Amino acid sequence: MPTPMDHKSATDVELVAASQAGDMLAFEELVARHRDKIYARAFSMMRNEEEAIDLSQEAWVKAWQRLKQFQGDSSFATWMTRIVINLCLDQLRRQKRTRAESIEQLDEELGGVERQMPVIATNPSEGLERSELRKRIDKAMNQLSYEHRTVLILHEFEEMEYKQIAKVMNCSIGTVMSRLFYARRRLASLLQSLKKEQQS
Amino acid sequence: MNTELKLQALLDGELETREVRELEALLAKDTQQAALLQELKWTKAAVAGNDVALSLPETRDFYWSKIAREIETAEKNAAVPAERPWWIQYFYPATGLAAMVALMFVISGGRDTDGANTESVPEDVNAVSFRSDAQEMSVVYVADEQGKISPVGQEAKNEPETDK
Repeated sequence: MPTPMDHKSATDVELVAASQAGDMLAFEELVARHRDKIYARAFSMMRNEEEAIDLSQEAWVKAWQRLKQFQGDSSFATWMTRIVINLCLDQLRRQKRTRAESIEQLDEELGGVERQMPVIATNPSEGLERSELRKRIDKAMNQLSYEHRTVLILHEFEEMEYKQIAKVMNCSIGTVMSRLFYARRRLASLLQSLKKEQQS
Repeated sequence: MNTELKLQALLDGELETREVRELEALLAKDTQQAALLQELKWTKAAVAGNDVALSLPETRDFYWSKIAREIETAEKNAAVPAERPWWIQYFYPATGLAAMVALMFVISGGRDTDGANTESVPEDVNAVSFRSDAQEMSVVYVADEQGKISPVGQEAKNEPETDK
C-alpha cells in the first residue's frame, strides 16, 4: 500500500504529478505556494485588486483543467504565470475595445513621441533605497498604457525575448521593440520627475 | 530598424555579432546615441529585480474555496453527457426518423405518406370513401336509414381470387 503524500514537504514536481493524478490536496498546496506570485503578476498588469484576484483564481481553475498538458518543460511557476498573463491580456483587450482612447494613448501607439523626449543625463535611481525605488517604479508603471507596461513586464520580469513577447501579445517583433523603447524612455522620464519632486 | 531600436537590441542582447560591431563603431563617434544607450542601461538596471512584491489580500481558505467551487462546477458540467445511460444512443436514429416523419407529415399537409385519402362525399349522401394507392384499394362506406355506416363497395387489385 503506498504511503500518503506529505504535501507540505513535497516538491513542486511531486505535487504536480499528484495533481495530474487527481489529488486535489496536492493542487491546493501548489496554489498556496504560488498564489502570491500569480496574484502579483495579475495585479501588475491589471492595476486593480479585484480584477487581479478574479483573474488569478480563473488561472488556477484553468491550470487544473490543463494540468495534463504540463510536460515540465518549464517550472510550474513559469507555466502558471503564462496562464495568468494570457488571461490578463484577454481581459485588457476586451476592456480596450470598449473604451475610447485618449489622444496621448494614440500618440503612444503611433510612436515617435519617445524620440522627442530629452535624454536623461543622470541616473534617476541613483542613491535610492530599494523599497523607495520599487515604489517609484510601481507608480511610474501605473502611468503607462497596458501595452507598454505589459511589454516591460514580460521583458524585464518574465525575461522573455522579443520573439516570445510578440507571440504572447499577438503583434510583430517590430511593435514589441517600439513599445519597449517607448516604455523605457517614458519610465526614465517619470523616474526623473519623481526624483526632482522629492528633491524640491 | 532605426538606430534607437538597434541600440536597445544591443542592450538586450538581441543583435547579431556583425551589427554589434557596426553599432559600437557608431557609438564611438556619436555622443548623443551613446547618451541614449546610457539612459536605456540605467532604466533597465533600475527595473531589474524590482518587480512589485504583493501578497494576496485574502486568506488561504477563502481564496481556495472559490477555486475549488469553480473546478467542481466545471467538472459537473463536463460530466453531464457521460451520465446518460449507455443504451440511450440506440434511440438516436429512432428520434431522427420520428423527426423526419413529422416533417413529412407537415409538408404533405396531413396526408398519409402512402398516398391514402379519406374523403367525405356531400352530406345528403351520408357516405365516406377511403382510397389507398399503396394498398391499391378503395372502399366506400354508406350510411343506412338508421345511420349505421358499412362498406358497400370495395375494389382491390392483385387480391387472390379464392371465391371464384
